[in-house]
Amino acid sequence: MKVDVALFAYLSDHQPDGLGGRHARAFDLADGTRVADVIADLALPDQPRIVFVNNRHAAEDSALHDGDRLAIFPPIAGG
Amino acid sequence: MRDILYVDMATLSTERKPLPEKWSRYAGRALTDAIVYDMVPPTCDPLGRGAVLVFAPGLFGGTSAPNGGRLSVGAKSPLTGGIKESNSGGQAAHALAKIGLSAVVVTGKPADPLARFMLSIEADGSVKIERVDGWAGLGNYAVADAIKALRPADDHYATITNGPAGEAGLKAAGIAISDMKGYPNRFAGRGGLGAVMGSKGLKAIVVSDKGLKGVEHADKEAFNAAMKRFAKALTDHPVSGVGLPTYGTNVLMNILNEAGGLPTKNFSSGHFDDVEGVSGEKQREVTLERGGNVKHGCHTGCVIQCSRYWVDKEGAYVTKGPEYESAWSLGTDCCISDMDTVAALDRLCGDYGLDTIEMGATLAVYMDSGKIAFGDGPAAIKALKSIFEGGEPGMVLGHGAEATGLAFGVDHIPVVKHQAMPAYEPRAVQGIGVTYATTPMGADHTAGYTITANILGVGGTVDPLKTAGQAELSKNLQIATAMLDAFGLCIFVAFPVLDIPDAFVAIYDMAAAHTGQAWDTDELMKLGREVLTFERLFNTAAGFTAADDRLPAWMKTVPLPPHNTVFEVTDAELDSVFDFVPETAKEMGLL
Ligand code: SF4
Repeated sequence: MKVDVALFAYLSDHQPDGLGGRHARAFDLADGTRVADVIADLALPDQPRIVFVNNRHAAEDSALHDGDRLAIFPPIAGG
Repeated sequence: MRDILYVDMATLSTERKPLPEKWSRYAGRALTDAIVYDMVPPTCDPLGRGAVLVFAPGLFGGTSAPNGGRLSVGAKSPLTGGIKESNSGGQAAHALAKIGLSAVVVTGKPADPLARFMLSIEADGSVKIERVDGWAGLGNYAVADAIKALRPADDHYATITNGPAGEAGLKAAGIAISDMKGYPNRFAGRGGLGAVMGSKGLKAIVVSDKGLKGVEHADKEAFNAAMKRFAKALTDHPVSGVGLPTYGTNVLMNILNEAGGLPTKNFSSGHFDDVEGVSGEKQREVTLERGGNVKHGCHTGCVIQCSRYWVDKEGAYVTKGPEYESAWSLGTDCCISDMDTVAALDRLCGDYGLDTIEMGATLAVYMDSGKIAFGDGPAAIKALKSIFEGGEPGMVLGHGAEATGLAFGVDHIPVVKHQAMPAYEPRAVQGIGVTYATTPMGADHTAGYTITANILGVGGTVDPLKTAGQAELSKNLQIATAMLDAFGLCIFVAFPVLDIPDAFVAIYDMAAAHTGQAWDTDELMKLGREVLTFERLFNTAAGFTAADDRLPAWMKTVPLPPHNTVFEVTDAELDSVFDFVPETAKEMGLL
């Protein structure tokens, strides 16, 4: 299945193509892949994260589906 | 020593008196509120003779409490018609506190409306009011230069200045406070307090703290110990220790966009396709490329350091930030995705002395009238300049989003209590809608920043699209924020405080060690409730009712893409937020 993956702030350095940037890349994933599996594959730092699947907050153990958009942010805030 | 300096602009006289005992636990927002509640008739003309303008450092002003140098500015707001506390960074709060002043209270107005005055408060406590009629119409940056030319080269001072917007009595006028480099770029922006300062003929206040030491503590050792624990929490927490110092406040742009809660095109969508150009990440990259500063504090003692300077292609200073709220209002809400255009608008607002949140929302409302196109940066700059240079649309823009919407027939005006909403969409982030609707300030995100639990996962999680728990979340945050504003703490300390229990304890340990008074959790929360009680009672007496604690009706009927949701928190839930006020008022002896 295809899932669009966008990484923000300093996490964008972890995109496999090494190009950085906030634009989403299309990932080819096995059926049943969970958010946590993508996080492990990308070797994201071990810290809290803010995860969205299709613009909704999502738990890291939630399963991804074909055509999903996955967006991951490090712990951030502002105001 | 904590004194109040009274400045009467009718007689041009000043008087310094000790802080009354009844206010000995008040500072910052608590003190501006108490003084406005005490001295200002709630139904008075906010620009009239009876109006009072108060500047008060927080309880930690003049100390080394981390992030403890914020300034509260209070008055009856010409924009909302209610009580206002507008909060700013910059150097003035520390300087006032070191001189021993817990507040400067400006009353009356001069007989000659063309007269301009500068109030100088020197490090030795002496005070002078001088005429500066030649400064009429000068922008904040020119006033800062004019002041610099008058001061000794080795002076150390802060400025509080008013631009032409405040002189003209515009309801979107804010008051500029100088930062550590002396740039007049920190703002008590919201609610038109610049117009109050202008009505008093006050063009500038200079506060010199040259050679002054920090304010003394009742127990220095205990204060230092608590201060270290507090500083550790701020640097340990990933948000205040890494996220904010690296990207600044504008790191929020992408996450609100992802959540579908980023108000776009005059609050008609929660998603901006061209967000990249005004995102915090892009801002950092460009600023670094151009050699700009991407990390400093807005005042001495800030350990989080979320501030940055935007520089032009040649590397010359343009303006601060821009902060998230400004990048959103002048950028996203107007569909402008070019940060140089946003910075040009931000600089104009800063120099004129206009609130960037109000002005971005205003430009978006004006664009919605069809007079200029969404996304047209040059037209937005021309429209903003027309306030002072003439032509269309002219001065009405400076009175804010509601006045502009009414003048140009726009029926989609995002305001509460006549004040423009900031950078979070209530239809996609229900909790912030509760805060916008109910805070005595008019639509204001800082009053109860539910984005913490609604979006950022700080201090728990509350689903932003559901109504459950939003009223309670907003209420608790409004109480806690009122308390932080009284202490002069930057509200960004809330991120670690909500997650690290000892950071909260460290606040009252610092307060107790500093004042010698007893402070604990109950006392902190009581202080927060008292602040809000002053504000609610003032507004009720000024004529506000439950009908004023509502979002615009269209937010309950017009769905917002991409989630296609409306604001659904019930009126009864909104009305429950201030259920503690009658009892607190009784305890305070106000009812
Ligand atoms: S964190 Fe930012 S807003 Fe807060 S005190 Fe520091 S520089 Fe100012």
